[in-house]
Amino acid sequence: MEKIRIRGRAEYPGRVEAEALVSPMPLQGFTNVNPDQGYTTERNHPLFKVCYEGKVLVFPSQRGSGGFLKYGRGRKPAAFVHTEFSPLNVLCNLQAHIPSMTDFERDPMEVIETGDLVLVNADEGYIEITKKNR
Amino acid sequence: MTNVKLTDEEKRMLQGEGGPVRRICMEYLVEMCEMSGAERLIDLDGTGDFHTPGLTMSPYYQISLDDLRDLAEGGGYFKIPTFANKSPFPEQPPIHGWQSCNLCSYRQADVRQDDPAFHQRAMHEAEFELLRKMGMMTTHSCANYLTMTYWPSIGQHCSWFESSQIPYCNAVLGARTNFDGSFATCFLGKAPYYGLHITENRYGRVLVRTDRLIQTDLEWDVFGYAVGCAVKCGVPVLTGTAKPTTTQFQKLNSAIHTGGGVEMYHIPGSTPEAPTLEFAFGGKKPEEEVLIGERELRAAYGYLNYHTCDQVDMVYLGCPHLNMVDLMRLVQRLDGKKVRIPCWVMTAPWLYHAAQEMGYVKALASAGVTLMSGACLAAMGAVPEGVRSIAVDTAKQANYVTGCYPDEDARLQVCYGTTEECVAAALTGRWQGEWR
Repeated sequence: MEKIRIRGRAEYPGRVEAEALVSPMPLQGFTNVNPDQGYTTERNHPLFKVCYEGKVLVFPSQRGSGGFLKYGRGRKPAAFVHTEFSPLNVLCNLQAHIPSMTDFERDPMEVIETGDLVLVNADEGYIEITKKNR
Repeated sequence: MTNVKLTDEEKRMLQGEGGPVRRICMEYLVEMCEMSGAERLIDLDGTGDFHTPGLTMSPYYQISLDDLRDLAEGGGYFKIPTFANKSPFPEQPPIHGWQSCNLCSYRQADVRQDDPAFHQRAMHEAEFELLRKMGMMTTHSCANYLTMTYWPSIGQHCSWFESSQIPYCNAVLGARTNFDGSFATCFLGKAPYYGLHITENRYGRVLVRTDRLIQTDLEWDVFGYAVGCAVKCGVPVLTGTAKPTTTQFQKLNSAIHTGGGVEMYHIPGSTPEAPTLEFAFGGKKPEEEVLIGERELRAAYGYLNYHTCDQVDMVYLGCPHLNMVDLMRLVQRLDGKKVRIPCWVMTAPWLYHAAQEMGYVKALASAGVTLMSGACLAAMGAVPEGVRSIAVDTAKQANYVTGCYPDEDARLQVCYGTTEECVAAALTGRWQGEWR
């Protein structure tokens, strides 16, 4: 089975392997996320009401309110993997305390598809992707 | 993980020498450094604000009311001038006008904002008394800067919160903040040193052009949203616009940090760190160029409108909270008129008192309009019972309020346009807005 390894920066340590859920669009919090259900409620969002609990949540960036931190509460993902970093990620990681990585040598959004198996090894600073269709 | 370099004083606080609250705050700041990659803390010389009650910064960092009481009664003060933004969390009660606020609190169908007992509970007075004793000025506004009466000066290091205020602090005032205002940063007067505290990160990266002169309030709002969507977390340099008014700056800041995660931008000739286009880019070439022209503006306007019919059940104005000139203009527009549907207007609590002095509260009431302060529909997480369609003049509210009603059978419709169109809707109950 082909595995793709990408090095990045750990924001919060830990090691977890789980299925990826990829958000093609930035994620938004505040009223546009429901942590009790573990999904986004942003209208017209590709992940509208798609539960991320227990998944490696892969997204390009975050936008909007400080209420983005709600992604780190309630029914949390297994890990965060995101392309762009901002202080909103810090706020969210402070809530979540789950493995979280960013600043990759190669954009994970170009590699990971929903359903791929992703090992997030924030302790050693890399993610490893096992493609579902190969 | 990052190795954080602390001063001897900081190390002592971390070891608990300054008591439990200082220790918890230091632990929180050190973890923020590790997560952000900051190698040290910076001593703040500007101002701070945070959402209140702020004693639970995260499930892993909580300060008990007893510890806070010991601290406050022992002479503990916030290190920097500190303000409370937004309503008391998490109930988000309006400070003024709550008696007319006939809606349920956020996802709690059994409690209502107009219930006096709920309101009293939601004001968290026990905690606020202590925070005020420690020097917090409880402004309770998403547009804190309207009433702080004490702005940070250019280059000062701050710790602010609330999405629309972050670019206001950085871009409009030229002070320096990351999105990190919390009890810990304000009490200790320290924040992780990274991001927009560092000059290099404040320069423009993306050149934004437009083929339509951006000059009306609505144009600034739509433009801000579209720019945010396009540049995400980048630092854009906006060209081709008129000079924004204070109201337009408010709209731009809230919209640009709703469409995207823009914490800093430049408008050459208008914002303090951009005397010229070249200066805004720090003498370098833009990494990227983006056109936000007629086509993109029309698309954003279309996205922000979310309705299938022209019936309007309610008008909401005041996102971000209206400034005094906005209130004055609204009073003028409504002179001698009477609204047919509920029309709620939100301002900052400290401005509410001034509006009362000016006779605006009375004037708006005689037009059937309810002036409130300190909250907003999206923050309260609901609209009044029976309302299925609202009209707003702000991208931020249009973007968020529908998230409170995700279920198919309870969808909320949003008509988005100019303040004039919203006032017309309040007078007629019909939406006649369009992109012109």
